[in-house]
Formats: sequence, structure tokens, C-alpha cells
Amino acid sequence: MTARLSWLRPAAVPVLLILLWQVAAAGSAHGRAPTPLHVAQAAWRLCATGELPFALGLSLSRVFAGFVCAAAIALLIGALMGYFRDVGRNLDPLVESFRPIAPIAFLPLAILWFGTGTPAAVFIVAYAAFFPMLINIVHGVRSVDPRLADAARTLGVGRLRTLRSVVLPGALPSIFLGMRLGLGGAWTSIIAAELAVGAKAGAGSSGGIGQMMFVFYAYRVELNGIVVCMIAVGLVALAVDKGVRALQRMMMPWAI
Amino acid sequence: MEVRGCVTPKICLREVRKQYPARGVAEATTALADMSLDIFQGEFVCIVGPSGCGKSTVLNMIAGLVEPTGGAITLDGEPVLAPGAERGVVFQDYALFPWKTVRENVEFGLRYRSKGRVPKPERERRVQHYLDLVGLGGVGRKYPHELSGGMRQRCALARALANDPQVLLMDEPLAALDAQTRLVLQEELLRIWGEEKSPEERRTVVFITHGIDEAVFLADRVVVMTRHPGRIKNVLSVDLPRPRGGAVRTASRFQTLCDEIWQMIRDDAYAAVADG
Repeated sequence: MTARLSWLRPAAVPVLLILLWQVAAAGSAHGRAPTPLHVAQAAWRLCATGELPFALGLSLSRVFAGFVCAAAIALLIGALMGYFRDVGRNLDPLVESFRPIAPIAFLPLAILWFGTGTPAAVFIVAYAAFFPMLINIVHGVRSVDPRLADAARTLGVGRLRTLRSVVLPGALPSIFLGMRLGLGGAWTSIIAAELAVGAKAGAGSSGGIGQMMFVFYAYRVELNGIVVCMIAVGLVALAVDKGVRALQRMMMPWAI
Repeated sequence: MEVRGCVTPKICLREVRKQYPARGVAEATTALADMSLDIFQGEFVCIVGPSGCGKSTVLNMIAGLVEPTGGAITLDGEPVLAPGAERGVVFQDYALFPWKTVRENVEFGLRYRSKGRVPKPERERRVQHYLDLVGLGGVGRKYPHELSGGMRQRCALARALANDPQVLLMDEPLAALDAQTRLVLQEELLRIWGEEKSPEERRTVVFITHGIDEAVFLADRVVVMTRHPGRIKNVLSVDLPRPRGGAVRTASRFQTLCDEIWQMIRDDAYAAVADG
């Protein structure tokens, strides 16, 4: 492949898979099986009416709201847990016993506390994003070269200032990894949460991409639409991750 | 040991001990056994000894980074309990902040220390002064990973000096450098320290090293340590005239002193190599 066409290389596998899919779907006896062509048509329709962008925007805004809450709390608690050994020791059992509980398991409680709207969804998202971030922040803070903190302390810098100006910057690679995992978990869980509360169509519903999928599934029985949503979810996750990586490169010029 | 009348020592170690408790199958180890040492204002003291003689432990305890198991360490008569800006440290692995430029590294203490932060214009003036002093005037905007080992160590030295400590503690600062860079930096270190100044104007330096010739070249006194447990074997005054240039290294007195120290630690050094 020449250099000019090398940008095509990442597209090769997806194109091949789409072709395979078309062939397989065309050969299937099932009349309703979605084909790439029908999915593309559905995608075009959903974009043109604004339904899809609107649903994605709504879900994304919930994800970011939940993520920001979770990040703020995880950064504070994670920094303290990692830096002060006693805090870490006392909170570890609590963290480890809550961590395995799937975010979606909190849905009944979230609905009870916050109703079926945005606050419940944001709560679920924040919960999902919190633990991957916390674990990585604690790990990151603990693995910063202790000599760097020593160096700051021997320059007369206080403990909290050292945490802020030496330990946290030193933990940035892990903090970013935690952010990427947290955002991934948040995005996965928002769809699950919206799917679960999406039993109501039309006015008063929760909205968002998960609810849109539920409507396609339960009311309109349109598999093409569901596939469109799935692809959109994947593409948005990819874009968000790329965004975080770009931010990381911007904030860590020394690591390039 | 040199007699200094009734002068109060700058740093005083009294029967300082460091033990590490038993852990699993490992027995409790005595890193340092009852070490007493007085270090005076403006003195350049080198501590030499084989691996495992506890010399780095001594330095970390004076710095306040490691707590002694027993005994007392004082600075100007005040007990040392925690790290402080008056005791600057230069680490073997430099310990520069990778996310900060050379300039920001040197500025760090003046900017963030708890006591006596320096306002920006004065800070910039001082940072520039020390960068020029160590010969890094032109690379202030670079990051540490862009520098050679020798330049990183100069940066670490400038960072410690810019904070204006009374005591400079150096933990094998030149050990990771190649032989030629090491010789150059030894001479530069004496120049920066100010050999021609009076002891009152100079910083007190405690310098840990493996290198016997390095110790003799730099020091007013050489503290020779042995291991198992770590303790002082002898303290030698180095009576070579200052300022010392490269020519000192070939003087017969220099060779005699090096040989004397080597005889003191050679058995220990062989044992240390055998232990791995």
C-alpha cells in the first residue's frame, strides 16, 4: 500500500466485516434481519429528523454531569487514600465491598430516591464512573516515586502542598487512565439505566439513547434502529476516549 | 579528630541508632549503631564506606526523612524532627520533577515552601543566578528528560542551592555519572561551594560517596564507615590546601590519604562484594 493510501488501512477490517454482514443477512431466511443498507437508511432518517443527535446529546450530558461529580469525589478521596496510609487502610474495605456491585443494581434505589428522570440517571453514571477512577487514582498516588515527595519536603514544602504540587501531577498518567475507564463505565451504564427506565414512551419519559433503543425494541419493533443506536454508542465512546487522550497530551507535555 | 575549642557544632549526632524491625523471615537489622559525630559550620564532610554501612541512612536522618531508632540529632542545638528548608538535599537519582522545566524545578522551593516564599521578580532573579552558577543558563525551558545526566545533577544542585539552605546534604550525587563528568563536577562543586570564602560564609556540606578519591578531593574531613553494623571506623582530616585544582589529585599527600582510607575499609569492601 502506498503512503498516500495508508489512511485506508484502519478502515480495511470494518469494511470487510460490513461486506460479510451484508452477505450473511441477505442469505438469511429471516426477513427482519438488519442489513447494512437498511441500517444506513435508518441512520440517515434518524439523523435527519434530529432524533438521534438529540438522544445522544441528552445521554452525553448526563454522562458528563455524573462523571464530573464522580471525578471530583474520586480525586479528593483517592488522593487522601493514596497519600495518607491510615486513610487508605480505613477506607479500603468499604471501597472493595462496594466496588463489585453493578451500577445497574442501584437503579431501584435511584428511582426511589430521585424518580425516573435525569437525577437518577446521573446518580447511576456517577456510581459507575467512581470506582475505576478511585482505584486508579489511589494506585497512581501510591506509585509516584517517593523520592519526589522527599525532594519537595526537604525544600520546606508542607505535606498538603506536596500532595497538590508533586504527588498529584506525578499520578496524572494513572488519573487519566482512571478517567478513560470511568467514562467508559459511565457511558455503558447510562444506556443500561435509560433502557431500564425507558418503559414509558413519549412525554414524561427519561429520553436519551438507551430509551430510544427501548422504544425501538418494545414499541416500534425496528431492529435497524437498534443497530443504528449500537453503532452510534460505539462511535461516541471512541470519540470521547480520543478527546481524553488529546487532553492528556495537552496536560502532560513532558511525557511526549 | 580536629579539636575546635568550645564552638557549638552545626550538626550534632549523639549515639544515633537505626534498626529495622524483623519482617517475615528477615531478621531485625541494625543499619546504624551508636554513631556520634559533630559537623561544624562551613565544613565539607564526606562520608565513605562500602555498601550497607548505613551512610545514606545517616544522611536521610539528618534530612529528617528517616527517624532514628535511638539517639539525637540536632541542628544548631535544635532537635531535628522533620524535613526543613534549612537542610537542602541533592539525591543520587536527582529526583527532579519530570513535569516541570529546569527553571520551574529550581524555582520550586522558593515558590511553594511553607515559610518565607519569595515573590516572583526576586524569585526569577535568584533562579537565573543559580542556573548561571551551575552552567544551565541556556536550558531553563527544557524538561529534565531532555538533559544529560550531568546536566540533571547540576539542575538538582541549583534547585537545592536556590532555596538557600544552611546545610547541603548530598547523597552520592555523582555516582550515576561517567568518570569524566564526575571529575568536572567535583571541581565545579568546590567552586560553587566557595573554597576561598571563610567557614562562616560557606554552607556546611555533608557528602556521601563510594569514591575514596572523591572524598579526599572534596572534604575537610572524611568519615570512614564500616558495616554490620554500620558505624564510624575513623575520621580523617584532609590537610590538602584550598582552593584545590585538578593538580591536587597527583600530589603524593593525596595518594597517601586515599591509600590510608582504602586500608581501613578494604576488608569490609571485599566482604560487601562477596555478599552481593
